[in-house]
Amino acid sequence: MNNILVRHKWEPYLWILPSILLMAVFVVFPIGIVFKIAFSEVSKSGMVGGFVGLRNFVDAVNEPAFGTVMVNTFLWVVSVVGLSTLLGFIIAMLFNQPFRGRKLARSILVFPWAASLVIQASIWNYIIKFEYGNLNNVLLNLGIIREAINWRASYQIEFIWECGVGIFVTIPFVTFCVLSGLQSIDAAYYEAATVDGAGFWKKLSMITIPLVKPSLTVSTVLNIIYVFNSFPIIYTITKGAPANKTDTLVTYLYMLAFYDNKKGPATALSVIGFAILCVAAGAYMMLTMRKEDEL
Amino acid sequence: MSHSPKNEAAALKNRIGLIVCAAALALTVILLSLPMFELSASVYTKRSPNTFVGDEKYAAALAEAEAVAAGYPGASIEEAVTERVNSKGETTSLVVFSVMQSVRANAWRMLAALSGTGIAFWLALVIMLGCAVLAALLAAAGMRGTMAMEHRSLTPTPRALRTAACWLGLIALLCVPVLGMTFNYNFSRQIKLMTGGFETGNVSGVRLALEGLFFGGGTGDTDALLGALRIHTLWPLWALIPVLFAFLLGLILLRNGELKPALARGALYAAVIVLCVLILYPFYVMLITGFRSNAEATDMHFLHMMPTEWIWSNLPAIIDRGVLRFLGNSILLSAGATLIAMLCGIPAAYAMARMNFKGKKAFLGFVIMSQMFAPVVLLVGISQLMINIHLNDTIWGLMLINAAFNQAFAIWLLRGTFVSISSEMEQAACIDGCNTVSALIRILLPMAAPGIVTTLIFVFINAWNEYTISTVLISTPANKPITVGITQFSSFNMIEWNYLFASALLATIPVVILFMCIEKHLVSGLTSGGVKG
Amino acid sequence: MKKLTALLLAVMMLLSLSSVALAEDITLDVIICQYGPNTNDWFLGTGMNGTNFVDKFEAENPGVKLNLEVVSWNDVYTEVSTRISNNNAPDILNIDVFANYANEGLLMPVKDYCPEELFNDFFPSFIDQSVIDGTVWAVPDLASARALYYNVDMFEEVGIEVPTTWAELEDACQAILDYYGGDIYPWGIDMTTDEGQAAFSYYTWNNGGGFVDENGEWALNSAKNVEAIEYAIGLVNKGFTNPNPATQTRYDLQDMFGAGKLAMVIAPNSLPTYIQEKESKVNCATAPIPHNEGCTSASQGVMDRIMAFKDDSADQAARNEAIGKFLTFFYDPENYVGWVSMEGFLPAVNSAVASLVEADPSFSAWLDVLAGCQFYPTAKAEWDQVKQGVIRAEQNALTGSSVQEQLDALQAELTK
Repeated sequence: MNNILVRHKWEPYLWILPSILLMAVFVVFPIGIVFKIAFSEVSKSGMVGGFVGLRNFVDAVNEPAFGTVMVNTFLWVVSVVGLSTLLGFIIAMLFNQPFRGRKLARSILVFPWAASLVIQASIWNYIIKFEYGNLNNVLLNLGIIREAINWRASYQIEFIWECGVGIFVTIPFVTFCVLSGLQSIDAAYYEAATVDGAGFWKKLSMITIPLVKPSLTVSTVLNIIYVFNSFPIIYTITKGAPANKTDTLVTYLYMLAFYDNKKGPATALSVIGFAILCVAAGAYMMLTMRKEDEL
Repeated sequence: MSHSPKNEAAALKNRIGLIVCAAALALTVILLSLPMFELSASVYTKRSPNTFVGDEKYAAALAEAEAVAAGYPGASIEEAVTERVNSKGETTSLVVFSVMQSVRANAWRMLAALSGTGIAFWLALVIMLGCAVLAALLAAAGMRGTMAMEHRSLTPTPRALRTAACWLGLIALLCVPVLGMTFNYNFSRQIKLMTGGFETGNVSGVRLALEGLFFGGGTGDTDALLGALRIHTLWPLWALIPVLFAFLLGLILLRNGELKPALARGALYAAVIVLCVLILYPFYVMLITGFRSNAEATDMHFLHMMPTEWIWSNLPAIIDRGVLRFLGNSILLSAGATLIAMLCGIPAAYAMARMNFKGKKAFLGFVIMSQMFAPVVLLVGISQLMINIHLNDTIWGLMLINAAFNQAFAIWLLRGTFVSISSEMEQAACIDGCNTVSALIRILLPMAAPGIVTTLIFVFINAWNEYTISTVLISTPANKPITVGITQFSSFNMIEWNYLFASALLATIPVVILFMCIEKHLVSGLTSGGVKG
Repeated sequence: MKKLTALLLAVMMLLSLSSVALAEDITLDVIICQYGPNTNDWFLGTGMNGTNFVDKFEAENPGVKLNLEVVSWNDVYTEVSTRISNNNAPDILNIDVFANYANEGLLMPVKDYCPEELFNDFFPSFIDQSVIDGTVWAVPDLASARALYYNVDMFEEVGIEVPTTWAELEDACQAILDYYGGDIYPWGIDMTTDEGQAAFSYYTWNNGGGFVDENGEWALNSAKNVEAIEYAIGLVNKGFTNPNPATQTRYDLQDMFGAGKLAMVIAPNSLPTYIQEKESKVNCATAPIPHNEGCTSASQGVMDRIMAFKDDSADQAARNEAIGKFLTFFYDPENYVGWVSMEGFLPAVNSAVASLVEADPSFSAWLDVLAGCQFYPTAKAEWDQVKQGVIRAEQNALTGSSVQEQLDALQAELTK
């Protein structure tokens, strides 16, 4: 076992105490406040009143945009997590090959991960402007297009762009997770498979995917959480316009709380968000716990 | 010389390679002789409002258009009439006459017309032709007397010749898209320069070339022509791509005797290059826009890929607007948050990795749960809390929040690092009477240094890039971190894209450098944290 | 108890002493907001023809001293609230908000210190915006208003007149669209989350509607409002406008206007300066915002205010007189016109308009605009919700929803 001796039974608790305190005050306490507000009456000026049961929840669900926002949230999470996992996996396979300049290419790959989301969202917002956006400028310059294209002709297209930016900034994390999985695979497996006459697809499905699966699971679950909670991209590019049709749950509740001054329904939405994520959390816990038992 | 079956196979491959190369070259010549570049201009447009077909104004406008058309060989006149009834019940009519002229040229004509101008388009054309011809010659030279020789056992000279032919073939192929792009880019740029009054060097060369193409050596109204010039590439240019690709395949077959490894390699490099270009594109935009003038950043008829003038004074301008202050705040905020997160996280991770205690799983669950709750969902609660403890609108409050929300990630990574290090030495130390604190500090921490640095930088970058909480909690400008501070350029009086991106550049460079520093450890960090977690 | 009385006595003596000492010199604490890069120079430096506001004032008004501070907009709110809580409120404050200070009983009614002649010089519609329960608590210092800007050369080339009514506006849009074959957008609309409420006001006010009815109650779903918004959406659907009204902000529109891609736009009076900074060569002019047949043109106004705080000075009459002198000096066309034009805003007093028109005849267009200015009902508690609500209604209408249903829902939510 990897454990060291502790003299007192209470010692481990002392070690984790600072961490618990920090999180209790700054994470758990706000959670408590949010839950309390969600079940309380909130005045227009933000005064928290008495218990009102589920009224804030009813108000939140009855907001006309609620349905659209939930569908958008679903589309946003599924498309961004799904596509970035797929593309990240492919890119990791690519970057696992030896080639000249691999170190440089990997360094470049961390750029979208390192730069701040709000900055990248601003850049993309500028790039896809119809009138003076850089994308039209470059494509016109290179003679690839003849007329400027309105890259944001409708809100559906703008939402697709937002998903695209989401995928763009998420790929590096997936890629590095998968790379970490790929590099822990023993080359002997592949050699043996080659001797057995296995082709590329066979090796992929029989060796690579099963062995990378733990890394992929971790990155996928974390990404579901991050993407679900992602705020700056949509807030910067469309602010949910038109009429919340490009909002996800998180940007919508921000607009409700800080633009419309409806703190009650906004906190109710926060709680609904928790509930949804708890399903993901449950799945994540079950996975990690099962592994814990195996150790 | 004996004819072993293997050599016959090699000879067959070479014959196929030569035939493919020759056919591709022939096709290339044919394509180059077809019209592939179109320059068209509506040299004259007369819009005549309140004009009805047949009336005096109509006749006058038509006469004017015909007079202009007479000056252009082969020009055509187009007429468009729009009639409408307005809200007052009156009929209005608009008549538009336009005189169109277009010139279609093949590669040879363009080569001749633009010779001496030395512009990029002409150079690309010359390089493409030169490389294709040279590749063919080198391949032919490389084949002399070695037609039936097995590819692996070639002597250095023919091998080198054939290799060079392959590379030249690749360059010729790559020249095709460059040709299409420079064709457009050069003319757009030259026209911009000409209409801007810069009539020097190759600009006047291009003007002469255009006059030659349009007026057959005579003279006409070149300025009207330039103002309305439209540039198109026609299909034969793009048809060159598959043809020259076939040429390259033939050359590769001559060089290697097989295609698959070279193609796979080429595809890998092509994919990586495309990917890197895509990733760098937004950062390129940030860089060039950050050093443009504001007028240029929103210029709607812009034609340059780089700033016409690098405005370095954007940097002092943004510093004047408090960007250094914001950067300082960000450094303080991130460093403080990292310090707190590590001071709390290292002991917790140590306990998680090395000790057995009741409630360990519960704590793990607690840590993971805290990861579920993003700050943005809790904003209402956080701002309430901060007001209660009088830390709203301060960097200290942000610091603590960032530290708390990074605990989960820090503990996860650190625990992974600690678990991956054997505890034998610590156990030995403990038996020798060393306590757990010194075991951690003296033994484990030095060994875990790479993992700790990785975690440190991770937390630092997360705090540096945090936007949502700061935007709600901080209202005093002097306390804003950079992510929030730069929004003053996009919301105050107008969007100052140049200042926005210049400051974004300052905010991005440090984190990108930090990230590149730990890039090596990223993979191992994630491995130990994730897979063994 | 005795000790306290003694202490009070001592304090009072000190106070009376100091007021005696200052009997001939009254010092006014003044806070002015920083409107632009030259504000400081104007009030404290050498920006006023070699001298400055304070020196000139003190020279012309012996016996009154100014302790004037120029504070940036970012800091002014914290500065003022700190000074109020330290019992050190300025005598004269220049800021945008006033209601909270008035409700807390910190302000003096304007009638107490403002000379009658000057008071009557302010635009009445502006003064109305600073009234609570029938008392005027502040006076406007300057204003900004929106007007129709159009590209003069384009209108000449197409051969059309500047539209004054909605029907004429549609004709003009169609003519421009036909003439330029879609290369130029005739009309700019901004229905973004940033400022979509402005679009609501441009159309409803010019159709006799608005956010509130004559009793000051919310009336968002009135027939006139529905007609107005349907008209605006109609302009978009007929292709007369910029392509993405839901995400193209006023700054995008101003950029397009400056680049000659947009023929008409409703913008504040700072537009010419804005486009000149972007090296635009567009030749622009202003006109009142087009209105529906049978209504009068209305513009949206924004203004800042000057107010005087109460204090416990011994000689209230002398202090009020000093404040009056300050205001008289401030609004004297000789001083005021230079300041307003330097900051690029519009005047709040009639006398200044006359002088401005004398200097620049094209300014007379602003006379009509200023007279017809209306203001957002920002004092109403539900304003935030209404603002977001009308934006959402507009954006929903842009994607095909019924305007009537959207505004009905919003009104129902407000009166719930």
